[in-house]
Amino acid sequence: MRIIIIRLLAITFALSAVSCAKNYLNKTDPTKVSTDLFYKDPTQLEQAVNGVYGTLQGIANDQWITNELPSDNTTIDFNPGDRGQSDRIEAFEFYTVNANSTNLNSSYINYYNSIYNANNTLAKMQGATGLSDSVKAVNEGQLKFIRAYLYFELTQYYGDVILITQPLVQPSDAWTYQREKQENVYTQIESDLKDAVNDLPVKYEAGHIGRATKGAALSLLGKVYLTEKKYTDAVTTLNQVLPLGYDLNTDYADAFNPQKKNGIESIFEIQYDAAIDGEWSSFIYTFAPRLSAGAVTGWSQSNPGGWNIPTNDIINAYEAGDTRKDASVGLNFKSPVTGLTVPYIKKYAHTHAVYGRTDDNWPVLRYSDVLLMLAEAINEQGAPTTEAYTYLNKVRERAGLSDLSGLSQAVFRDTLAHERRVELAFENWRWFDLKRTMTPADLTTFINNYAAKEKANPTVTRQGVPYSNTDYVFSQYEALFPIPANEIIVNPKLTQTPGY
Amino acid sequence: MKNKHSLLRPFCFTWLWLFFSIMAHGQSQQVSGIIKDETGAAVEGADIIVKGSTKGVQSGTTGKFIISIQGASATLIISHVGFTTQEVPASAGSTQEIFLKRNASALNDVVVIGYGTQRRREVTGAIAVADLAATKDVPVANPTRLLLGQAPGVTVKQATGRPGGEFEINVRGLGSLGAGSAPLYVVDGFPVGTGLGQNFNGSDIENITILKDAVSTAIYGARGSNGVVLITTKNGRPGAPVLNVSSSYGIQNIPSGRKVKMLDGQEFAQFKKDIFMDKIRYFENREPDITEVPLNYRYPEQVKTSTNWFDATLHDNAPFSNYYVSLSQGNNNVHSFLSAGYTRQEGILLNTKFDNFSVRGNIDGKVNDNISMGLRVNADLATNNLAQATEGRDNIVGASLIADPRDPIRNPDGSYFAYIGGHDGVFGFANPVMSLTDIQSRSNVGQMVANAFIEISFLKNFKFKSSLNGLLNYNSYKQFVPSYIPGENAPPPRDASEADQQINTRNYSADQLLTYNNTFGSHRINVLVGYTAQDEKTTTLNAGGTQYANDLTPFLSSAALKTNGSGEYGWSLDAFFGRVNYVFAEKYLFSGSFRREGSSRFGENVKYGNFPAVSAGWRISNENFMSGVSWLSDLKLRGSWGITGNNGIPNYGSLAFMSNNNYVLDNNLVRGQVVSNLPNPTLKWERSKQLDLGVDLAAFGDKLTFTAEYYDKITNDMLLSIPLPAISGFTSYLANIGKVQNKGFEFAARYKTKVQSVGLWVSGNVSINRNKVLAINGPSDQLLAGDFYGGYNISRPGSPIGAIFGFKMLGVFKNQADIDKSPFQDGAIPGVYKYYDADHNDTISYDTKDMVQIGNPWPKFTYGLSAGGDFKHFDFSILINGAQGYDIYRVIEASTMNMDGVFNVLEESKQRYRNEQNPGNGRLATTNTWKWERESNSRYIYSGSHMWIKNISIGYTFNPATPKLMFKSLRLYASGDNMFLFTKYPGSNPDVNNRGGINPGLDDEAYPLARTFTFGANFTF
Repeated sequence: MRIIIIRLLAITFALSAVSCAKNYLNKTDPTKVSTDLFYKDPTQLEQAVNGVYGTLQGIANDQWITNELPSDNTTIDFNPGDRGQSDRIEAFEFYTVNANSTNLNSSYINYYNSIYNANNTLAKMQGATGLSDSVKAVNEGQLKFIRAYLYFELTQYYGDVILITQPLVQPSDAWTYQREKQENVYTQIESDLKDAVNDLPVKYEAGHIGRATKGAALSLLGKVYLTEKKYTDAVTTLNQVLPLGYDLNTDYADAFNPQKKNGIESIFEIQYDAAIDGEWSSFIYTFAPRLSAGAVTGWSQSNPGGWNIPTNDIINAYEAGDTRKDASVGLNFKSPVTGLTVPYIKKYAHTHAVYGRTDDNWPVLRYSDVLLMLAEAINEQGAPTTEAYTYLNKVRERAGLSDLSGLSQAVFRDTLAHERRVELAFENWRWFDLKRTMTPADLTTFINNYAAKEKANPTVTRQGVPYSNTDYVFSQYEALFPIPANEIIVNPKLTQTPGY
Repeated sequence: MKNKHSLLRPFCFTWLWLFFSIMAHGQSQQVSGIIKDETGAAVEGADIIVKGSTKGVQSGTTGKFIISIQGASATLIISHVGFTTQEVPASAGSTQEIFLKRNASALNDVVVIGYGTQRRREVTGAIAVADLAATKDVPVANPTRLLLGQAPGVTVKQATGRPGGEFEINVRGLGSLGAGSAPLYVVDGFPVGTGLGQNFNGSDIENITILKDAVSTAIYGARGSNGVVLITTKNGRPGAPVLNVSSSYGIQNIPSGRKVKMLDGQEFAQFKKDIFMDKIRYFENREPDITEVPLNYRYPEQVKTSTNWFDATLHDNAPFSNYYVSLSQGNNNVHSFLSAGYTRQEGILLNTKFDNFSVRGNIDGKVNDNISMGLRVNADLATNNLAQATEGRDNIVGASLIADPRDPIRNPDGSYFAYIGGHDGVFGFANPVMSLTDIQSRSNVGQMVANAFIEISFLKNFKFKSSLNGLLNYNSYKQFVPSYIPGENAPPPRDASEADQQINTRNYSADQLLTYNNTFGSHRINVLVGYTAQDEKTTTLNAGGTQYANDLTPFLSSAALKTNGSGEYGWSLDAFFGRVNYVFAEKYLFSGSFRREGSSRFGENVKYGNFPAVSAGWRISNENFMSGVSWLSDLKLRGSWGITGNNGIPNYGSLAFMSNNNYVLDNNLVRGQVVSNLPNPTLKWERSKQLDLGVDLAAFGDKLTFTAEYYDKITNDMLLSIPLPAISGFTSYLANIGKVQNKGFEFAARYKTKVQSVGLWVSGNVSINRNKVLAINGPSDQLLAGDFYGGYNISRPGSPIGAIFGFKMLGVFKNQADIDKSPFQDGAIPGVYKYYDADHNDTISYDTKDMVQIGNPWPKFTYGLSAGGDFKHFDFSILINGAQGYDIYRVIEASTMNMDGVFNVLEESKQRYRNEQNPGNGRLATTNTWKWERESNSRYIYSGSHMWIKNISIGYTFNPATPKLMFKSLRLYASGDNMFLFTKYPGSNPDVNNRGGINPGLDDEAYPLARTFTFGANFTF
């Protein structure tokens, strides 16, 4: 009898528990929106697109490590007291990069995170309501431009890379992807950029300036074709940029002046703002000489990184009278320890109201780059035409240099390479330009020559610390970076870049 | 609207008791009576049986009983745990007053179990009770200390010496890779979480019981698989009021034998000089000129200053004090216990401190024969002066080892010499003494815990108990770093900065328990059904500031730039559970329990889980055939099996969220959103299936007790953060994969005797645990944690969790010929480590391909031994614990034996490789390069085997016969804690575990452990 009562009680308890429990166990993070509830309307989609732009800031902050430091443009303000960097940033200068480089790992993660958000937003956009076709097209165009830009960078770093253009259905699908042949990566980049060219406007209304435009898509597509040595396509594409209303600034330095952001010469910039919480840049704090304190940044409590220091090689490369030298390189700082000049990049050094927060945008594509690419594409089709000289000389004139004429194809090629080097110095194109314009064997010789010079007579003194045997020895395979070791640990089927 | 629901929720069952109270029953031909103990206090729950029949009843809450008999008279047999059984003649209609005598045997104790108590002799699960009498003189700043060395299968580690720090506790090995592995703490029936925190006074504790196997812990469902620690606080004892006043005072020091030996100023300059000269000798193959050595190192013998930074950061003779007052009293109806305590521990590092004020009021009362109520209220305020950060190379302790010894602590004018090193190729650090004294880093944690219950007895055998528990925790933290404090390689002045944080938590739970207890004939049955719901919510508020007008106003209002934020998170669970304990003929024991639990943390599709457990026991000693074996007082075989869970994962781990990632367009802020993680709607708890077999034995009049135990716990659906290929957009993902086994043996024995006036006891335990990963069912079958230069741990099938992983170091390359004939190591030069070519491809690749398991962080066995005795007024005790057969990866040596010359290094560095003629001791590399030296490799592995004489105490008790003195007794004692460490391990603390989880066994230096000498006095009035 008692047992029966207990059974009844038990059942009553159980039933009550279930009825009482409704909603009690459904908890969601009150501080965040669930992804299920997002991507539903035009405002949310615009925020998702903006979010992808936002990821570019993180990428631009560290891009100099992979794009400028390995080149002959920059070196480091050697810190004899901090050898912990030997296997990190310094490796990009000394050509001792290995798969365990933490900088490479974080770069790889940042790129694919950005790509994921672009892919995801593109996919989710199909299910949104209230989105007009034209708004949808502009959103798609921007995302595809960004995706193409990211893949272009990735394939310059690694050659064959994993190509992923959809959000994963389930996380385990991530293991099914292998590195794609570079030509297929280029096919995807071209396709994205062609869509972007069609979808994107030439200009944006106020409040949207800074988004990717048709001009940006054309310029990047031109750069891709040039890299692929598809010179006819490059010329056709880049020619379409000319009528879009771009021009060179009168003053070269204006292109980097935070007071004159997104000017007439600007085609695509990564936007920062010192006055907005979390949106400021701080490039000069990375680039100013280590012991410069406030001498360069203007804030005495600074402890700058001393990275990406202009080499003697580029400082000497400027022709006499080139106004770009003074706009690009600072030579007025002397180390308090050695008394010797430590040069620094001046392009991103501007006064700013708050310590640590600069207003400098990062220039990605400028009109002068387009002009020089066009000249290059024309020259590679056979010989420098008048048109090619027009573009080259337009850039030179602005720099206060005399016009050139009557050069052979080979000399014109070298002249352009030099012109690009000084015109686009420290804008993260030099390493790609070197790789594009040289055969792997030539690149190896070229870099080892530069490296030998820098090793024998470093731009910044090493204060008696000898080099290691492996420093400044460049092998051909090092034109491509290794896939970060973590990725291969996680997915052992992934192949490593040959040589590593 | 959801909130309304959840607030009402815990009370859903309080109506039920009404339902029972209206049910009634009749009786006839009777004997009635009351049962009391020797002091006259009522004894509840005594069994009264009429001899020769199967009729039996139990005494009620006031000790009263009524039993019906056949005929005019009968003999009653009265038994109760803890008392000697009596036979009493009784006649019909009479009223008996029966006094029971207490029985000293431990076997008759009642042990605390989940949601109830049980007679120890009837226990069929694996339960250990901490011997608090043995630790009464130990200086306790955190009550987790009381578990040290007390129970087999319970690993207690003091990984840090931070004042007031919680000890690290694991029950039966590490059962989880990705979710927490700390046990659930239940204080007076209230599950407070997987940590006890700092707000708890150890002196308030009456009993600590550790539940280890599934039948004991399955009643706690999804929180049971890491074991459960049940803490019961003191309550008033029957009798006259007792006032207890105690105080103790101690001093703490680091014994010099436990300090790491670094180079002094001159030796460091010599080391630097040698580096410069050796590099030129090797790379340029010539004898250097003395002028090539920088001036500061050229003449080491001229170095005047030598600072031992580690010693400089220590607070010698740091005081420890404890004051405690309690008043307990009990009459028949009301028992109460009031206490107030103050504990203060100054840290062994300068300017660090912990103190805690606590007050407690526990009161239980009987309203009438059917209703009793109780209330327990505890409030604590803990204050910490923290060192800004102590763990690891870059923080105070690590930095004090590697900072340049040639700089002084203070300038000639008495001010601090702020920036240590930072020139001549040496890392710059903040003066650690100045960091400790001038950085303000404080936390205040206030906590209030209250439990209230009402218990209603009805129908003789039924009880309904409704209880409500609540916890409020207020935690505020403030840190201010003045502008003159340097950073690492960042000389001052810098921006002053402040960080403020407030975290407020409230947690409540409600339990509704219905129990049925009955004894009839040879049967005793105890049935429990219950329902519980618990809800926790935490709100946070944080703010930071930089750019202060000066360092004198460390408040946000003086900061030019401020940031702030707020947050909120929480979880909830509810569960229905039941348990049946059944005993037949005092010989055959059965127990079964079941819990169905739901948790807000788990995925939409898997909100609820079931946790059953069963067990059986056989008391062989009660069998007739054993009756001739008189020396054996108890022999019991028992076994249990059950399923428990572990829900220690992030609150919203199953869901995916957007996070802010804003951008700028046209010089204006635009809001941007990106995905912050991947969702997993099938995320659920880890499930452990545990088998336990045990034997309990008592002999020689219970002088000797012995327990042996075997267990095998297999955890399935292991929660893991799985590393994802970055191409997915993320680097990890939380999922239920993997399977881990922990199995082992536990032995515990205790012997207690009295030879004339000398009492002696000795008790020891040994635990042998083996853990093994059985499967990792993810896309990759191994999990690597850590990093290339900081030591790896690998978890893969067939190996223990977090096996230490790296290159196997075969020695140092003696010369170029040695390099040439060995597998290719790119960039190797003489003096770097020679590694084992694990994949036999004649190349050591600079990644994990040639790495192998190089160490096991889990001891082969651990043990605890305590012994004590008393003679007349004197008593003494000793506590020893240790662990044998395990490895530690001493990652700090990548810095303290960094051959770059940027840090100060260990004295042992003199044994390093210099050249072929001076190859050193064969395990220390050259200063000529860094490659092939600091990678995760076996060079950094040391055996951690150790034995601690953890505590030695002696006491003198004085019971004055003269009534002139105010007190009843006085006890004086002296105690030494963390007394002697026996080990070959070169670090200061072999229990260190800087990263924990699946990154076990790494020593990167932590807050050092002090030796404490304490004197104390206890007065009883």
